[in-house]
Amino acid sequence: MMGGPGSAILLVGSPKGGASTSEALGRYLLEGLEGRGVETGVAHVLRSLRSEEGQRDLLRSVGAAGLLILAAPLYVDSLPSGVTRMFEIFATEHSGKDRLGGKRFVALINCGFPEANHCDTAVDICRCFAREAGMEWAGGLSLGGGEAIGGKSLSEAGGVARNARKALDMAAEALAVGRPVPEEAVSLMAAQAVSTWLYTLIGDIGWRLKARRHGAGSRLRDRPYRR
Amino acid sequence: MTILVLNGGKKKDWGQPDICALLSSEILSQGHSVDKIDLEDIPIAPCTGCFGCWVRSPGECTIDDEGRNVAKAAIQCDLLVFLTPVTFGGYSSELKKAVDRLIPNLSPFFVNIGGETHHRPRYTRYPPILGVGTLEEPDPEKESIFRTLVGRNAVNYHSPFHDAVVIVPGREHDLREALRQAVKKAGGA
Repeated sequence: MMGGPGSAILLVGSPKGGASTSEALGRYLLEGLEGRGVETGVAHVLRSLRSEEGQRDLLRSVGAAGLLILAAPLYVDSLPSGVTRMFEIFATEHSGKDRLGGKRFVALINCGFPEANHCDTAVDICRCFAREAGMEWAGGLSLGGGEAIGGKSLSEAGGVARNARKALDMAAEALAVGRPVPEEAVSLMAAQAVSTWLYTLIGDIGWRLKARRHGAGSRLRDRPYRR
Repeated sequence: MTILVLNGGKKKDWGQPDICALLSSEILSQGHSVDKIDLEDIPIAPCTGCFGCWVRSPGECTIDDEGRNVAKAAIQCDLLVFLTPVTFGGYSSELKKAVDRLIPNLSPFFVNIGGETHHRPRYTRYPPILGVGTLEEPDPEKESIFRTLVGRNAVNYHSPFHDAVVIVPGREHDLREALRQAVKKAGGA
């Protein structure tokens, strides 16, 4: 069995300025690792990429960590552009293999569709990045129905986050001692906490309410670019 | 027919600008018009996931930059081409910054397609997608992820069909054939 990572950094890939489900998932995993003696840190990808100094800080933090945890939302079937940019910087422009070789990489991807399998391609891209950067792939966890958590901390998110909490507890236990995320945790995270029927019903009502709040309730079906 | 090429390559990437030029000349030689956008040269802010394009100004991103024009062109064209270096199996960040900004062209409401949930179409017609990836050397894993991604995008974008081709050194002619097939299928032969 391999040794523990010593330190872990959470890379929050959500471009949202405020609370995000990605950060909530990542922080819950970090807490599990901290409880097992792992030192942790957090970096926000998009914020870090905005300046040269931010990029340097990000590279320094990543260089010091043994375990990299990416927590990101699914954007159009893959990772948000900012996360892709970070991968490009890590792997090419800054001698990624020298800097990242030997580290371990784990991905937590969540999407707004009820089915977790939408995240599969994004997880594949993360695994491919880890391989190219010379890192050890420690596993990918996909969560569907991310809007049900809605950026709340997992301990406050109630029953809809029950599977995610259990899965991340199992992941923390494994990662803390240098093992990959167990398959059981991957399956549990992907298990739907809310039925598709209920999730889409509530979602569709939610869009109408939000649009009405912004005075756009009657324009939801507008086609401004119709030719 | 109008073919929109979203070029996510950078000048220093392998195959740039040659493959992009080959693509453009092939489109013109087939008698179609090409609208090529070199994404490296235009500032497009990243999508922030605010959903303002669905609930504040439906159909239009709240960020007033070139991303709006890209979204408009991507719904009005007859064939949408994603040209990109295959980046860990996916798109380059340059292409992805534009693709992320296409979501105003969809409705926020959900629909079931093939047993999966997706967003409903906002428009009555969407263009087919041709994904053209470039790779300096063959890599079956990356190529497979790329093809899957183009296919997933086509389902989400309600494209009537899609195709994906990965160009490696010495196989540049594959591009010509893929383009010819896509144009033919789109009814522009």
